[in-house]
Amino acid sequence: MKHKKALALLLALVMALGLFTACGSSSSDGATADGKKNLKVFLFLNDHEAPIYKGMIQKFQEAHADTIGNIDVQVTTRDEYDTTLTGMMTAGDLPDVFYVGPSALSQYVENGYIEDLTPYLAKMGVSTDGLMQEILNSYRYDGESAGSGDVYALPKDASVFAYAYNKDLFDKEGIPYPDPQDPYTYDEFVEVCKKFTKDTDNDGAIDQWGAGFANAFMLYQFIWSNGASFTSDDYKTITIDTPEFKEALQKYVDLTLVHQITPTVEQDASLGVYQRWLAGQEAFYACGTWDVAAFMDPETFPFNWDLCLYPTLSTGKSYTWLGTVGYCMSAKSPNKDEAAELIYYLSTDPDGQREVSGITTGNSIQIPNIIDLAEGEFKDAVAAGTLKYPSNVDVIFDYMNGTDYCAGRFEELNYTPNSEWHTIFFDGLDRVKNGSISVDDYIAEVQPQMQESLNEAWDSIS
Amino acid sequence: MSNNGKRRRMSAAALEEHRWGLAFVLPPFVGFLAFMAFPIVFAFIASLTKWNGINNMLDNFIGLANYGKLLTDAKFWKVLGNTVIYMIGIPIGMILGLIIAVGMNRKIRGIKVLRTLYYIPVISSLVAVAILWMWVFNYDYGLLNSIIKALTGLHGPNWLGDEFWVKVSMIIFMVWKGLGTSIILYLSGLQGIPRDYYEAAKIDGATGWNLFRFITIPLVSPVTFYMLITGLIGGFQVFVEVLVMVPSGGLNNSAMTVVFYLYQKAFESRQMGYASAMAFLLAIIIFIITAINFKGQDRWVKTID
Repeated sequence: MKHKKALALLLALVMALGLFTACGSSSSDGATADGKKNLKVFLFLNDHEAPIYKGMIQKFQEAHADTIGNIDVQVTTRDEYDTTLTGMMTAGDLPDVFYVGPSALSQYVENGYIEDLTPYLAKMGVSTDGLMQEILNSYRYDGESAGSGDVYALPKDASVFAYAYNKDLFDKEGIPYPDPQDPYTYDEFVEVCKKFTKDTDNDGAIDQWGAGFANAFMLYQFIWSNGASFTSDDYKTITIDTPEFKEALQKYVDLTLVHQITPTVEQDASLGVYQRWLAGQEAFYACGTWDVAAFMDPETFPFNWDLCLYPTLSTGKSYTWLGTVGYCMSAKSPNKDEAAELIYYLSTDPDGQREVSGITTGNSIQIPNIIDLAEGEFKDAVAAGTLKYPSNVDVIFDYMNGTDYCAGRFEELNYTPNSEWHTIFFDGLDRVKNGSISVDDYIAEVQPQMQESLNEAWDSIS
Repeated sequence: MSNNGKRRRMSAAALEEHRWGLAFVLPPFVGFLAFMAFPIVFAFIASLTKWNGINNMLDNFIGLANYGKLLTDAKFWKVLGNTVIYMIGIPIGMILGLIIAVGMNRKIRGIKVLRTLYYIPVISSLVAVAILWMWVFNYDYGLLNSIIKALTGLHGPNWLGDEFWVKVSMIIFMVWKGLGTSIILYLSGLQGIPRDYYEAAKIDGATGWNLFRFITIPLVSPVTFYMLITGLIGGFQVFVEVLVMVPSGGLNNSAMTVVFYLYQKAFESRQMGYASAMAFLLAIIIFIITAINFKGQDRWVKTID
């Protein structure tokens, strides 16, 4: 009887205490009993990537078995990542290694969450010169602005949102392929697209188009190519009322309203422009570097295709946006040396890079971070046909490195504390695209809201 | 002396029992503190700050400024309006539920199968059926517009893409999803009404409509009241349906609800403080409306006793 009571009391206590220990700090488990270091890693990875990256971390752990005890890898989805990380920050329980994007970098540094990697890289005696500098620079911060100064993260990947065309449709219509080094002007693009836009089964409804445009991802190219931008250079002022911006937006919506070479807003609502591209209904669509493996897979996209450049407006230069996410190290990590080593390994290990870029696997979900590898083995594998990639692979690198006819850049929202102003703009854009409001009226309507939101965003971190 | 000794032993036993009682109450109490009281207090404090999830919450105290800003936030009022419009579905669901429940409240063959069928939407995953209904509402290829085209030869509305029709779509979906629950609740209410009431009324010459109007409706009013309360509380918290079916929040935010906006502010715009204030304001609105409902129930809610 006494025992039972004691047991019950114990159970009650355990349950009660369990509630606290579950939320308790775990930084104390930074080492195993025999003095080896433990690391915690928190990443988002898709199903393709997860086994590759987990394998890489496994290899790192085995190679450092004398110093590293256990590496705890937590993987989540892109959508869940920010929420979970915010929770970890609030609880003061950050993992040793996690992701940061260029947009959040300065805030993470200013609030003391992440550690400067520069001294650790120096201590390891390694160089970052072999990495793509455009991307690496987006992880520099000098205490004032992003882009220069010390390195706070190393890139996990660098992506380019290139343009693509359906070769089979070009063959069918007898139209010469676009030149991967000479982008169409707007007028040329419209003319080419008109040749594709038709009713192929004679049921009275258009079922094949020149192109399809997903607003939030494919308007930037027009804006930038016309020399305009969503914000001022200091990212504090919304500049969508400039003549250049208005002209670019007008030309963008004219593709749907006047030239009618894209599905209408209603048609887009029934079946998205991305699905229509996959179904072979559009001659042109976008292709991110992460899309390549899927587009090369006949199950997903049963057409021949290749990469090309977005059409140009007044600057004559074709633009698109770049993306990246990088590994950073918690400022409170008890094992910073080991964490820095893991970061350097994940970002630059040639074997790992060969695997994710598809040099060894044949399926590419990203381009290599290392310039030599990208320019050498990667392109060789494409040329040899062992890596499933379209032949105009240079389009990717041209956008990444910049040429006199094309360039890549980061979207303005990467440099603002949040992207609400961007959401406000795109939320109602279909009203312009379906002709229910003019470009001028729309801009007059949303610009004050966007500016107010941007002010609040900056104010929220001051 | 012996009496005293006995009393002392008794009280010691009572005391021990008391302690054990406390020990057993402790886990749920701690659970309440950790998972209810703490988050509420935390959210309230957060609502007084410019916390963005990254900065230090307490360093960014701004008093009631978030609440003040909310009252002048046009988008907040718009999404609150949308949320209230969706509640048109509550009476529609009740009326349909009661009619179907009355029809089912009799012994016919296959009644159990029929009842089960109506309840399937309730037990189905909300996300799964929402995706299903996205296809029902599809502009070109959807079931609804195909039927409309077959019947009238006209192209039906852009259900999820139009500022007006998206609300109609959401109401249709929510009524469909909730119908099974109303039917079950009304069925149990109907079965609690004694047969003699109807028999007595019939002897007095009451017709079918009168029986329904003066016996059935008043005597299921406790069920109606329960559904009104839970419907309103749930109605203010609608989120998943919209997130799945209209992930953008609809053209011009025409489908967005308060909780959807709250989510956007918290996790997309990283304005945790502002979102917390919105959560509190929403809770206050729900509290006031529920209180009014309880106050008003004496006027129309009848019980059999």
